[in-house]
Amino acid sequence: MFFVKTLEHRIDLHPSFFSASAPDFIKEKLYQDVEGTNTGTFMIIAVLQIDDISEPKIAPGTGFAQYNVGYRAMVWRPFRGEVVDGKVTNVVNNGFFADVGGLAVFVSKTMLPPSMKHNAEGSTPSWSEADGMIIERDSQVRLRIKGIRGELGQMYAIGSIREDYLGALLQ
Amino acid sequence: MRLNTPDSLLYPITVTKLLRQPGDDIEQDAPLFTYEYKSSVTEYDEDTREDVERIRSFYADFESELEGSITSLNVQKGQVLNRRTFVAEIEEACKHEIQFGGLCTNCGKDMTTMQYNSTSKNTDRATVNTVHGHTQLLVSQAEASKADEEGKRRLLDTKKLSLVVDLDQTIIHATVEPTVGEWQNDPSNPNYDAVKDVRKFQLIDDGPVAKGCWYYIKLRPGLQRFLELISGCYELHIYTMGTRAYADNIVKIIDPDRKFFGQRILSRDESGSMTAKNLKRLFPVDTKMVVIIDDRGDVWQWSPNLVKVSPYDFFVGIGDINSSFLPKRPELEAKPPKLASADPTPADGSKPTPQEAAPKAAGDAPASTATNGDLSAVDRLVTMAGKQDEGSMKEKIEEQDEQITEQLENRPLLQKQKFLDAAEEEAKASPAVEAAVELLAEDGQEKDQELPHHKYRQNLLQDDDTELEYLAQSLGNIHQAYFDEYQRAKSGAKGGRIAELRPGHGKKRSVDEFEHIPDAAVIMASMKARVLQGVNLVFSGVVPLGVDIHSHDIAIWAKSFGASVSENISKRTTHVIASPDRRTAKVRQAAKKGGRIAIVTQGWLFACFTQWRKVSEHPFRIHSDAPLNGTAGLPDSFEGRDEGQLSSSDEEAALTEDERETRSNTPHSNGRLRLDTEAEELEKFAPSMERADSSPTEQESPDYWEDIKDELNDFLGSDAEDDSDSESAKSEGLKTPPSARKRKRGEVGGEGEEEEEVEGSKLQKRKKEALGRNSSLTQMVVPAEGGSMAAAAEATDPGGGGGGVGEDEGDDDLEAMLAAEMSRESDGEGA
Repeated sequence: MFFVKTLEHRIDLHPSFFSASAPDFIKEKLYQDVEGTNTGTFMIIAVLQIDDISEPKIAPGTGFAQYNVGYRAMVWRPFRGEVVDGKVTNVVNNGFFADVGGLAVFVSKTMLPPSMKHNAEGSTPSWSEADGMIIERDSQVRLRIKGIRGELGQMYAIGSIREDYLGALLQ
Repeated sequence: MRLNTPDSLLYPITVTKLLRQPGDDIEQDAPLFTYEYKSSVTEYDEDTREDVERIRSFYADFESELEGSITSLNVQKGQVLNRRTFVAEIEEACKHEIQFGGLCTNCGKDMTTMQYNSTSKNTDRATVNTVHGHTQLLVSQAEASKADEEGKRRLLDTKKLSLVVDLDQTIIHATVEPTVGEWQNDPSNPNYDAVKDVRKFQLIDDGPVAKGCWYYIKLRPGLQRFLELISGCYELHIYTMGTRAYADNIVKIIDPDRKFFGQRILSRDESGSMTAKNLKRLFPVDTKMVVIIDDRGDVWQWSPNLVKVSPYDFFVGIGDINSSFLPKRPELEAKPPKLASADPTPADGSKPTPQEAAPKAAGDAPASTATNGDLSAVDRLVTMAGKQDEGSMKEKIEEQDEQITEQLENRPLLQKQKFLDAAEEEAKASPAVEAAVELLAEDGQEKDQELPHHKYRQNLLQDDDTELEYLAQSLGNIHQAYFDEYQRAKSGAKGGRIAELRPGHGKKRSVDEFEHIPDAAVIMASMKARVLQGVNLVFSGVVPLGVDIHSHDIAIWAKSFGASVSENISKRTTHVIASPDRRTAKVRQAAKKGGRIAIVTQGWLFACFTQWRKVSEHPFRIHSDAPLNGTAGLPDSFEGRDEGQLSSSDEEAALTEDERETRSNTPHSNGRLRLDTEAEELEKFAPSMERADSSPTEQESPDYWEDIKDELNDFLGSDAEDDSDSESAKSEGLKTPPSARKRKRGEVGGEGEEEEEVEGSKLQKRKKEALGRNSSLTQMVVPAEGGSMAAAAEATDPGGGGGGVGEDEGDDDLEAMLAAEMSRESDGEGA
């Protein structure tokens, strides 16, 4: 789910950037530092607005200036039970992997409809069932998140398509 | 799963009440029974008004760390437990056998959390990595075997084996050297033909230095055909030490439709080890149906499943760009067999006289393959030495970045091509050489296509690798042998088939079925062992001094092909692997035994390894004229005398007769005639040459010349200057190619053989040898000059003096040298 969240980020500025354009550097650095990062619970999609840039403080012993930047950002946080769309990245005999934005989801074969069979032959391994639903690399799938776990910089989730209206999307 | 009481309880404990019965469900952390335990506590005693220790009884709940239904309960009310005890069997709803990123893929629970009552980590339940592209998906051992069984059944059904393929220097060669790109855009460049089909891609984020740099990829010749052929009988996997992005890009080039490799790509990002490759990473259960091809044996710890291929070294001197992660390549490959003679003069810094350089260049020019070996070897050794120092301190990644920067900045290929061009300019200068070049060029093979375009511009890069052809053959043979064996094993096991068909045996049958499948490693070992069976190798001048030959790569490799390796020449010795430019004691010793021992280059071994059969030694023979040179009469070495002398004296006598015969066959003629015969010889070799680079004969002479120079310099010191003058004067006068002179000299020197005795130290011997050769060269030159005078004296003395006591001889030498020195001094004064 997407949220707008107020966040704060500390930026250390090298003395060589001390000039009238320091605030520009700070902004530039903020975008570089935070956009697209994953905190382990949510992912920062975009910085919407920079609310304030604090007065800098010189860090003792280094000469770097520390700015605290308050900003509002669009973040995405997946929840357990949420239904999301993703793209299949890899199909293995235990299930398949899908990327939902920055979230890596694994759908185990126990979370697939029982009618689906794994085919390892041919150029691309796939999961398919008789009525024509095929899940292979680059398929679009809709899945429900069954479990989620975050580490710093990375989130992992377990998905399921063993429900009505879940599975490969028609393109 | 069995539920035990943890060690941390205060035993003994008495069960006071059972809260669940067998068949009940139990949630995690729900109480299973209550118990009583005793513990000493400090209490305040009202009566005595002081703290006293007392034993008290306490009651507590035993809470289950597992969730599921209780199938059996192993405790009764009132039972006393004295230690860790198995109390209940709990059937879990989810065994957490497949985990992804610390989550159970089945129930979605976080496996990394620990409860206060957990006795084991849930993450330990699944530890086996089975998937190529991910390290986060782990399965339990049971699950892995199940998957393995499935995989095997699939392979057996399609009659395939698994083949693990390495990328760098096995099926491709990659470089970041920007010169390649320039050559590609310049059709007039001599290397244009070779690099025009080099593919390239850009890696955007692959380390700070290599950001956005272009990678140039040369596919090993015949790769597409190889993959098509081999994918019919193997399921292909990639296992590379490159990054994921690198591997993906390579696969985009070699297999755009992913029909060969599919998703079966393992890069160093997922490998789990930066220095070694492990088959267990891909095949955790068993490796019976796996074959590996790689150019490095050490990273696989010489796994029996490995088919080692010779490294593909297209961009000479570049090596493996992903190898900074691997242990340093042992020095064996530092001198690739195919690239033997190169002009080493600029490398060692000694200034050659033009006359000397000319014949050397003549030796070089016809062999267009022979231009880069030494350089790259030197280069590589230098970089290796430098890297080892840094490598111990810096991170490997940095090292690779450095390597890449070095390639980007120094452009080793460009430098080499420049150097090559310069050498040719020099060669062109001399018309005699030109003639010789043309004469010799007629029997080479590749020059025929290349010379017409740019007659004298040599190209650095050669596109003449045939490894994959042979590799496909041997892999095909392995596949064939494997399934023959499988059929045999299967029909052998048919007797028990009726029993197997009985109900209840279904599961057992499948297990048995897989027990009977043959092991590819065993089959390969037996196939390989046949290749060089009965061959007893002695290495000489190939392995660096101080290295134990038995632990050296080449010996291990040779042994895996059934050859035996010994340190010294003995009766069992069949082959001596020698370097073409040095005639070592062992070579001479072997040469004395005549045709019995084949003296060959490393090329022969590599050809055998490549083709999986004992190839003809003929094109690889070297030093075949060893007994004919002036040194033959000299003792080979002391060991040789000790061992072989008595028993083989007859043989030797017979041999020398043979030699005389051959000698009388060779006409005492001028250089021109000699040249013809040599060309003939070459022609004879030419069609039989499997590898275009394998004829050592034509490359021998310049090195040989070098040898003489070196030895002269060693033993005559300052006098050598004078010698080289006289020598060059002579060579200028005659203009015969070196080989012709060599033969002649050999004959002259050969006269004194046989009679010479075995006295004196080794040094003495070598000195004599040097002097002997010198004498034959400079006989006709005025004997007033330094060392040549002494030498001439030596030569005219037909062994009688040499037969005397070594010390006398030494004195003579000294005297002669003294005289020479004095005369020189007086000369100088006169001038």
